[in-house]
Amino acid sequence: MERQEILDTMNLVMTNKGREPITDETVATRDANFRSLDFSEVALRIETKLGRELTFDAAAMRNIDTVKDVLDFFEKATA
Amino acid sequence: MHTNGQNIIVSGGSRGLGLHLVSQLLKNGNKVATFARTRTPEMDALDKEYGDSFHFASVDAVDADKVNGFVAEVCDKFGGRLDSIVNNAAIGQDQLLMHTDLDTIQQIVNINIVGPTILIRAAIKRMMLQGGGNICNISSICGSRGYAGLSVYAGSKGYLDAMTRALAREVGEAGIFINCVAPGFFESEMSSVLRPEQLNTIKRRTPSGSLSNDENIFKVVDMVISGTTNMQGQVVFVDGGITS
Repeated sequence: MERQEILDTMNLVMTNKGREPITDETVATRDANFRSLDFSEVALRIETKLGRELTFDAAAMRNIDTVKDVLDFFEKATA
Repeated sequence: MHTNGQNIIVSGGSRGLGLHLVSQLLKNGNKVATFARTRTPEMDALDKEYGDSFHFASVDAVDADKVNGFVAEVCDKFGGRLDSIVNNAAIGQDQLLMHTDLDTIQQIVNINIVGPTILIRAAIKRMMLQGGGNICNISSICGSRGYAGLSVYAGSKGYLDAMTRALAREVGEAGIFINCVAPGFFESEMSSVLRPEQLNTIKRRTPSGSLSNDENIFKVVDMVISGTTNMQGQVVFVDGGITS
């Protein structure tokens, strides 16, 4: 999946919850107010788009620090 | 106060407690879908009485693809949302572990553990994207107290209790409420394996003096899935006080 499409999905989750969209990849997810359940919701939305399940360990989620990490993760997971 | 206007899935609703839950939830104005291995005449009767507000399918609870398909089918039929699920399908046991064959053990694990887990997983995915929902697992006092002859069954109910607590932490923030209702021995097909003297002993040791019935359990399930209680990750006993 294209990086921009992943970011759009992240921002859909953010704006649905009344939060500011993310514009800077280098920002920490914590500072962007992007929470672990938001990560799961993005994964579910990507699953719906792709029509297949994405399964991964919680450890992979724990290693994510920045928005860039999230984009890298889903880019790799959907390749 | 009753839950109404919800779209609800009840597993194992073709007979026993499940049938009572399905019937009452329909009566109170909900749309209800259920699945079981075999269709019973009661399913035909509910179909006739409630039409599009009721849905039944023959589904093997441990076939993940079939269960996922069932959930999708129900959401399409009922207008997209899945408000609540009640994990009711289960099988009992009346054997000491040393005399229980491996096939029976595997069957109890499949129906009482794998099945509910598959259904919860499918439901949570829906509920996450729609912004919340309610999950009620029918557990048992056996999950918290020891009773001879029920070891595997008890283990399976303890699993439900433990998973409920973990999932409350995992998805609670997404507005998904997950709780267990744990009946004591109640008048059912499963307790029919007990001898009259065993039932009398249980009644004698029960502070309320009587076994719970389907309606007692329904009232608590109804409250749990109402989404109005802020109760999260709990096991609620409906047992006349025998575990108190």
